[in-house]
Amino acid sequence: MQPAGREVLQSALDEFMTENPEIICEQLYFETEELRSNFQISVLGGSGPDLVYGPADQVGPFVTMELIHPLDSFYNDDFLAVFVEASKVRYNGNLYLLGDRVGNHLTLVYNRDILENPPQNTDELLAMSNQYSVDLDGDGMIDQFTLVFNYIEPFFAIPFLGGFGGWVMNDENQPILNTPEMTNGMAFLAKLKTENVIPRECDYDIANSLFKEGKAAMIINGSWSWGGYLDAEMNIGLAKIPKVSQTGKWPTPMVSALGYSININSTEKRLENSIKLLEFLLQSEIQLRFTEKLNTIPSHKTALKNPQFQTGMLKASADQMSVGKPMPVVPEMRAIWDAMRPHYQAVLNGSLTPKEATEKMQTDAEKKITEMYE
Amino acid sequence: MKTRSIPYFYVSPAFLILGLVVILPFLYNLVLSFSNMNLTHFRDWDFVGFKQYGKVFSEQIFYIVLLKTFIWTAVNVVFHVGFGVMLALILNTNIRFKNFWRIILILPWAVPQMITALTWRGMFNYQYGAVNLIIKKIDGFLQGIFGIFSTADVGNIIEPVAWLSGEATAFIACIITNVWLGFPFMMIVALGALQSIPKSLYEATSIDGASKFQQFRHITIPFLKPVMMPAIVLGVIWTFNNLNVMWLVSNGGNPSDKTHILVSFVYKAVFNHYRYGYAAALSLVIFLILLAIGWTMLKKTNAAKGVAE
Repeated sequence: MQPAGREVLQSALDEFMTENPEIICEQLYFETEELRSNFQISVLGGSGPDLVYGPADQVGPFVTMELIHPLDSFYNDDFLAVFVEASKVRYNGNLYLLGDRVGNHLTLVYNRDILENPPQNTDELLAMSNQYSVDLDGDGMIDQFTLVFNYIEPFFAIPFLGGFGGWVMNDENQPILNTPEMTNGMAFLAKLKTENVIPRECDYDIANSLFKEGKAAMIINGSWSWGGYLDAEMNIGLAKIPKVSQTGKWPTPMVSALGYSININSTEKRLENSIKLLEFLLQSEIQLRFTEKLNTIPSHKTALKNPQFQTGMLKASADQMSVGKPMPVVPEMRAIWDAMRPHYQAVLNGSLTPKEATEKMQTDAEKKITEMYE
Repeated sequence: MKTRSIPYFYVSPAFLILGLVVILPFLYNLVLSFSNMNLTHFRDWDFVGFKQYGKVFSEQIFYIVLLKTFIWTAVNVVFHVGFGVMLALILNTNIRFKNFWRIILILPWAVPQMITALTWRGMFNYQYGAVNLIIKKIDGFLQGIFGIFSTADVGNIIEPVAWLSGEATAFIACIITNVWLGFPFMMIVALGALQSIPKSLYEATSIDGASKFQQFRHITIPFLKPVMMPAIVLGVIWTFNNLNVMWLVSNGGNPSDKTHILVSFVYKAVFNHYRYGYAAALSLVIFLILLAIGWTMLKKTNAAKGVAE
């Protein structure tokens, strides 16, 4: 959760404690990866926080490791009915995470001071490099780029891969990374680099810095980042990631919920309090407070009726979300990310062809999934 | 009897803490190394004998990462000691602003490792990193010089390096960062040893006509050795097990999961792939390798021997 989000959460917790003086709530923040490992270890040791907040894809590993309670028996249908379906994260038929926001998806953000109209398709995007990837100081190296995104992480490649018709796994949770569609998607991503649309090296921080410094016309980033751009008084616009010209399909960012699960070690009075707190935190009014600070899309249907979701950035975000695909929550996804990452990077630095890379991704993903379960 | 029990009483809290934070986790790790603990057997794991050890030794990746770990350790320690002793020798002379230089040279050690590693990571960026900007400046300077003698376009003489995109260059980038971080410790240790050498020895040998090199070889080195050897053993163990620099500069093993040493490889196996049993076995193997290295070095160099022995 971003610092601004943590402030909102703390104010909500303070309110809850005022209403329930017998309950003491403490907020503890960790980065996503650290949170997962710390939560696993603390639950194994018989303790851990009563509520754990994070992205939906942590549900699969947490359920497989028996770290969280199924929530179905704690909340009745009437209570659950007020939330959009995407926010109720199920695994093996049971509800394990209740999201206070949906989306968490990537969108195209553009700097209106550099670019008036964002590209509508990938052909336009490639053509823009002549105009927007330029050497400003005449030292022979490009200083301003058409597009930036974190291309260390395959999560940021998923929209384009989906736009070419590829996807990471089938309905049986098996990897499908070596399809012609995935290979074409990889080839396109490599082309973005060879055509100088994107920089030669770019991780998340560099992409963000370049965009904030006005050295990139566009960035692919998630809703968590927009607040920072607005705070920096940037004149930004949001648009759908451009349609893939070859296939006529929209890129498909992964869409997921962010929300709360209850620790399996939370029992009796603590469990009772956790259920109560979770109910409190999911209220429409509190979700809108997060929206105000972080431009998030709430999960509560009443909150979604708010006029702010019918215009501007939030409308654009919802439009992008409408063409996205749900992020798989099964543990196999972790193996797939790890299998994709090195070979995706190898395609971008030219040491593997797209075809070789997708073959290796598939082999590695199958091997890692086997290792996870052996 | 009573007199003998008092020392044990005094050290018992330390032993208790040592037992809780070192021995107990070590034993737990040992137990896990014989288990199948992983994603699906997280709370209900079983003993599987030496299966995990078999897996460690049967995979080629172990030997590749082991070789990289040896190269990483050797190169780092050589540079740490080399730069450390060289700078200590300089600081031990009557140079001006000695205290200022001393503070400046200790700075890399004083800054938290994580911050230094991330700063260096930024400095190695192809486009905007300080390292390549310096290379470009040098290139411009060289082009200017060569341009005087040539009418044709000289072109780039040295090219910027995509440090973090290549397997070898990313590994070199990690080594450079760790050399930067590690030399101040060796410098301080060496400086302490140098300052304890009686000046009279140098005076006496110079009266006898010994050259500077002879003084260095027959006085400085023998006095440095007993102090530097334990520091080198420590340096080898620390460097062999240095997760932070490798993990942060390479951003978790990038590019293509090729920039790993054994500890970063273990970390990934546990926290990314949930392979607890396998990682416990591998970490035991790392422990045994380090034990063998440390033991051999201590025996060969007498580094643990007391001064009076």
